[in-house]
Amino acid sequence: MNRNYIFLTILMLLLAAGTLFLNKEPEYNQIKPEKLLWEIIQPTRYVTTDQVAKIIIDKDPTLELVDVRDAESFNKFSLTNAVNIPLDSLLAPSSQDYFGLPGVKVVFYANDDIKADQAWVLTRRMGYSDTYVLKGGLNHWIETIIQPKEPSADASEDEWALFEFRKGAQIYFTGAKAEQGSTKKAKVTVKRKKKTAVAAGGC
Amino acid sequence: MGPLIPNGIIGGGWDFVIALLLGIAFGFILEASGFSSSRNIAGVFYGYNFVVLRVFFTAVIVAMTGLLFFGYFGWIDLNKIFILPTYLAPMIFGSVVMGFGFLLGGFCPGTSYTAIAIGKLDALVFTVGLFLGIFIFGEAFPLFKDFYYSGYLGNVTLTDVTGIPPGWFAFAFTIIALASFWVTMLIEKKVRKNIKEYKF
Repeated sequence: MNRNYIFLTILMLLLAAGTLFLNKEPEYNQIKPEKLLWEIIQPTRYVTTDQVAKIIIDKDPTLELVDVRDAESFNKFSLTNAVNIPLDSLLAPSSQDYFGLPGVKVVFYANDDIKADQAWVLTRRMGYSDTYVLKGGLNHWIETIIQPKEPSADASEDEWALFEFRKGAQIYFTGAKAEQGSTKKAKVTVKRKKKTAVAAGGC
Repeated sequence: MGPLIPNGIIGGGWDFVIALLLGIAFGFILEASGFSSSRNIAGVFYGYNFVVLRVFFTAVIVAMTGLLFFGYFGWIDLNKIFILPTYLAPMIFGSVVMGFGFLLGGFCPGTSYTAIAIGKLDALVFTVGLFLGIFIFGEAFPLFKDFYYSGYLGNVTLTDVTGIPPGWFAFAFTIIALASFWVTMLIEKKVRKNIKEYKF
């Protein structure tokens, strides 16, 4: 018998036997429904604008801000170092690189909670942990960080401390002028150096 | 990744180019396998030449296991490939008619063209008959239109109908095909005294 026939017969048999072990159904590393439902009603996924502002100011590298609005809104205004992953491309393979990194906290934000919450549910279903939602979204960010309201005079010390922090954050993010104690301009006297007469030597 | 056109990797206009290339390759393989000779083709009915059975079984098992592996590696999405819709009774009837035509003419439509390509006169006559048959079929179509569309099962595969997992089906079919290769080789040896063993 031709040896090639025997070789090909054995090869084909092995390949065909291999198809028996091909698992057709892809196994998704999904979270259990009960656990997901439990987590959905928990407020633990929310981070406040103050927390996020503090992390940004601290330049904490473990924070990954993800803007889930469309690219146009993202280009108009976004938070510092945020990446733009519109909600409809969240499941794209290229987007997956941002999630599930050990030690990195992903914070979703949009104009409000809704889209960010959807993104959170999707990523949780895909089995990623360490994902969070910016409570109140950018609207709340503007209210608290960009235009903080001064608390009433009889507010508690904590409220004032928070306000001070927000004022500081406002300066950090907007470059607004810090309030100065006095408006008087210090007189500047310019001391001129005496000109040296000739450039000595050189090339 | 695949299928390439449905996934938009290449444009839909390419399908004719690909069809042309595949057609050339198909014709070449048919001719190289000896399908341009009606003796080789009809031999399978008379039991002295089983090259048709071997070539087509080879094509089936290679494509079948290949697709399963490609699907597993993610190179092709098996949910997107075209599956010919099944009309059970008309298909059985049609294949019987085709088998008779095969036996009488010594060609199937594809092989008749490869035979023309190498200048066989019987194939030329065969294709004239082929076009006559197509014409008659087209004109008489309203008569058996109801039968033509009966027994519709949809775009089903054997896995859908029988519930046998594709891997098991491919494995069983491969064993049957490989066994038939060796058995038919033995039969040929007995029947034909002056047989030349195929070499490649």
